[in-house]
Amino acid sequence: MFEDTAKDIIFTPLQFKNLEVKNRIFRSSVSGRFDNEDGSLTQTRINWECKFAKGGTGAIISSYVPVLMEGRIIAGYATIHRDDFIPYWQRLGEAVHSFGCKFIMQLSHSGRQMDIPGVHNYTRPTQSSTSKRESLHGFLCRAMTTAEIHYTIDAFAKGAWRAQQGGLDGVELHAANGYLFTQFLSSGINDRTDDYGGSLANRARFLLEVIQAIRTKVGGKFHLQVKISAVDHNNVVPWEKKGNTLAESVQVAQWCEAVGADAIHVSTGSLFPHPLNPPGGFCFETIAATYDAMISSGMSTLRNYFLFRYPILRPVFRWAWFRMKRGRPVEGVGEDEARAIRAAVKIPVISTGGWQNASKIREAINSGACDGVSIARSLIANPDLPQFWAKGYDLPPSPCTYCNRCLLNAPKNPMGCYEPLRFADHNAMVDQLMTIYNTHPILQIPTAEQVAP
Amino acid sequence: MIGEPPITAVEKALHRRWRVLTPLYIILALIAVIGTVGAVAGLILLWQFTQNRTPHYADIVEEFKYGSIGAEPHSGIPYPIWRILPTLFPEAFEHRNDYSVFGFLYENDANGRQRDLPIGISRRTYRNVEVVWFNCATCHTGTVNATMTDPDGQARTGTHIIPGMPSNNLDLYRFITFLLEAGADERFTPDNLIAAINKNGPRLGLVEEILYRWYVIPTLREGLLMRRSRLLPLLKAQPPWGPGRVDTFNPYKLIQASMSLNTLQPKELIGTADFPAIFHQGPRRGMHLHWDGDNTSLAERNLSAAIGAGVTADTVDFDTIDRIANWLLQLRPPRSPYHPDAAAVARGREVFLRQCRSCHGSQDSQGYNFTGETIGQVETNRELGVDPHRLDSYTERLRDFQLANFFKGTPHQFRFFVKTDGYANLPLDGLWLRAPYLHNGSVPTLADLLNPPQQRPATFVRGADQLDPERGGFVAPPCVPPSAPGGRFCYDTSKDGNGNGGHLFGVTLATDQKADLLAYLLTF
Repeated sequence: MFEDTAKDIIFTPLQFKNLEVKNRIFRSSVSGRFDNEDGSLTQTRINWECKFAKGGTGAIISSYVPVLMEGRIIAGYATIHRDDFIPYWQRLGEAVHSFGCKFIMQLSHSGRQMDIPGVHNYTRPTQSSTSKRESLHGFLCRAMTTAEIHYTIDAFAKGAWRAQQGGLDGVELHAANGYLFTQFLSSGINDRTDDYGGSLANRARFLLEVIQAIRTKVGGKFHLQVKISAVDHNNVVPWEKKGNTLAESVQVAQWCEAVGADAIHVSTGSLFPHPLNPPGGFCFETIAATYDAMISSGMSTLRNYFLFRYPILRPVFRWAWFRMKRGRPVEGVGEDEARAIRAAVKIPVISTGGWQNASKIREAINSGACDGVSIARSLIANPDLPQFWAKGYDLPPSPCTYCNRCLLNAPKNPMGCYEPLRFADHNAMVDQLMTIYNTHPILQIPTAEQVAP
Repeated sequence: MIGEPPITAVEKALHRRWRVLTPLYIILALIAVIGTVGAVAGLILLWQFTQNRTPHYADIVEEFKYGSIGAEPHSGIPYPIWRILPTLFPEAFEHRNDYSVFGFLYENDANGRQRDLPIGISRRTYRNVEVVWFNCATCHTGTVNATMTDPDGQARTGTHIIPGMPSNNLDLYRFITFLLEAGADERFTPDNLIAAINKNGPRLGLVEEILYRWYVIPTLREGLLMRRSRLLPLLKAQPPWGPGRVDTFNPYKLIQASMSLNTLQPKELIGTADFPAIFHQGPRRGMHLHWDGDNTSLAERNLSAAIGAGVTADTVDFDTIDRIANWLLQLRPPRSPYHPDAAAVARGREVFLRQCRSCHGSQDSQGYNFTGETIGQVETNRELGVDPHRLDSYTERLRDFQLANFFKGTPHQFRFFVKTDGYANLPLDGLWLRAPYLHNGSVPTLADLLNPPQQRPATFVRGADQLDPERGGFVAPPCVPPSAPGGRFCYDTSKDGNGNGGHLFGVTLATDQKADLLAYLLTF
C-alpha cells in the first residue's frame, strides 16, 4: 500500500510539451451510442465523461470522434466534422475541466472498420487504403484516391482546429486498432502501389501528413499525441498476413515525434476488438445477444453470428481468438512494447492494456515502460478508481473482472459495466447503466421557423 | 417485397455475389444432393450386394427338400431365368411349364397349387440376385407308386415321395445337357430372357433389369459356355445316364479340379452309377462309404457330395448341412409294403443269414441289423466281378487333388479319401426302394439279381416307380434301345459302364431257395 500520494508516481503530474496532467491516469477512449444521429453530442456524453473526471482521472481521452461522417465507426457517437459542433464540445470540455481533469479529443476515421454505418453510410463502401474486405466481419471498402486522402488529411486538421477552438486540451490521432491510419500503416492490410503504399515510409505517409497538417493548422503549442499499435497481430483470421512488427512501430513512433507529436499512446492489434485489445474474456452468450445489430454491416457477419450463436460452432471462433492470448498477461499486456517505444523516443509514452493494480502501474512507470497508463474497463467498473488508489488500495473492493461484457454490449446496448458478479441483481446493473441518462434537459417548444419542413 | 432493390452497400455486394455464385451454389447443391443420393444408394447397393440369405424351414424334412446347402452362388441359375426357361425352350420341356420333364418332383402347397420350385431346388439371395440350385434332396428323394401306410396308420394309394431314397426319376444327364446347350442357343440372349421374364416371370425393376442385362445374363451365359466346353465332350463320350443315375467324379474332375479331358485315361471316363439311398447314416459310421468305399468319414463324404451339387469352400452352408446330416443319422426307410408268405420269409432268412449276412447285415422284426463280419468293407472286384467303370473312374490323381485342395487349411480339409480296388458291402436297409440293383442299377429286380448274368435282362425300362411285388423292384419291362415306348429311358446293359455281370452270390441256389430268399428280401 502506498500511503503518501505526494510521493506516489501515479499522482505525480505528467508534463507534456504543451500540456500538464495532474496524474498519470488517462481514461482511454470509450463511450456508448449517447449522441445524436447528426453527430452532435448530448448531455448524456457530458454526464458520462464527468463520471471519470469526478473520479480522479488526470485526463480523459474522448471516445473516437470522426472527422468526417463517412468515417464513423458506430452511428450515434458524437463527431467533429462541423464547426457548429464546437460549442457542444466546448461545453463538454468545461464540464470535465470543472473537476480538474483534462480532455483530449481522439480524432478518428473508421476506414473500412465501420461497425454500424448509420444512415449516412448505408449506400457506400467505406474508404480505406485497400479495396480488400476487412478480414473478420467482411466490411466492404474501396481504396481511397489521392484526392480523397488529401481531403481526409484536411478534415483531420480541421477537426484538431475545432477541438482547439472549443478549448479542449489536445487531440489524439487514433492510429491504432485497425482504423483508417492502421489500414495505411499495416503491411498486412495496405496493398497500395502509390506513394501511400509499399515501404513503411510510404505506409506512414498518410499519418505523418496528417500530423504536419494539424501542426500547420493549430500551431506547435496545442497538445497532439498519436495512438499506435505496437504490433499488428493481423492474423486473427488465420490466413491473413501478420502485419507490422514492433520494430516498424518504433520507427513510426520516431517519425511521429519528428514531425510534431507530443506523446505516443501504445496499444496493440490491427483490428478492434482484438484478442489482445482489450485483453480478457469473450462471453459468447453476450455477443450472441448483441452481434445481430451488426449482421447487415458486413459480408461475413452472418457467418460470425452463427459462430457466436450456436455452441457447436463456438470452438472454431474460440480457437482463432484465444490462440493469441496464450502466455500473455491481461494487465499490462502491452507493457513490453511500450517500453521499447519509450526507449526510442524522447516524448512521453502512455500504455494501455488492462491496467488496474496500482502497484503494477507504479512498477511500469518507475521501470521506464511508460509515463502514464490509459484505462477504460477498470474505470467503467470503478470511475473513482484513482481515489481508491489515493486511499492506499491496490485494487478496489469490486474490481473489473476483464469479462469484456461492456465491449460486447457496445453495438446494441448502453455503455457500462455488465459483469453480473459486480451487482446484486439485474436491476442494480441496469440502474448503474441508466445513471448517465439523468440529463434533466430543458425541453423547448420550437418556433415555426425551427420546425423542419 | 420481391424485386425490391438493395439498399445498403453490403446488400448490393451480396446481390452481386448471389448473381455470380448462385449457379455455382446450385451446382454445388446438386453435386451435394447427387452425392448424398449416390452415397445412400451406394450404401443400399453395397448392403444388397453383400447379402447372402436363404430361407430356412423349421420342419427338417422341408429343410431337406427345399433348404439351401450353399450350392446356388457358384453353380446356380437366377430364379427369374429358371422360371422362364420352359417358355423359352418349350421343345426341351415338352411344352410343360415346369421341370418335371427332367424328373424333378413337385409337391403342392397348402392351397393345393403346385409349388414354385421342385424338391431338391433351393433358393438363396446372393449379391441381390435370387439364385436356385441343387441340394441334398435333388438326388436323394424318389417316388413309389404303391399302397402304403402313413405314420398315422392310414393306408394311402398313389405316388409317395420318399425323402432319403435314391432318386429314381431325375434324369440329370438330360437336364445338364439341356442347360449346356441352352447356354449356347441363339435364344439365350439378354433381350429374349428379359422379355420372357417380364412377360412370364417375376417382373424386373429398372435396376434389376440393368443388372440382368449387363451382368447376370452375360455372366450366366459365360459360365454355361465354359462348362459346356468342358463337360459336353465328356457327356457325348458317355452313354446317357438315364433317370436315377449320375457320374459322380468325372464332371468333378473337369469342373472342380479343372482337369483337361484329354489327360484322363480312357478307362476312367465313365463312372455312371445309381444315386444311393441315404437312410440310417448313424449305423454306417466307420463303414466304407460310396459305392467303391473310397471314404470312411460321414462328414467328409457329405461335403464331397455337396461339392458335387455345386457347393464351394466359399459358399458352403455348414449349418444346414450339419442339421441335415444329424437328421439322416437316424432316418429310417418306410416299412416295406410287401407281405410275402411268412414261412417262405423264415426259410429265406436262414439262407440269407448263411450266405449274405456277413457282407450285408440282416433284417429282423426290430428293423435292420447292421452287423456282419465284412459289412461296410470293400470287396475286391476280382471277387465281385461287377462292372468296373465306376471303380475305375475314381483315381489316385483325383484323390491327390481332393486332399490337397478341398477346404485346405480348415478343420474340414479332406483327408479320408482312398483309392480302393473293389466295391463296398452295403447294408440293405430300405432295399425295396433301391431298385434297380447293383451300383450301376444294371439289374432291375432282386429276382434278376439272383439269376446268372446271362439270364438278367439285357435291356429294360428305367424310371418307373410302380412296384413289382413278384420280383422285387420297380416295373422294368424289356425295351429296344435306344429308346423305350413313351419316350422312357431304355437301359442297355451292353453299353460301357452299364454291365450287369458279377455279384454271383445266390445265383446257384435252388429255385425254391431263391424264392424263399426273395420273400425275405422283400421285407427289407
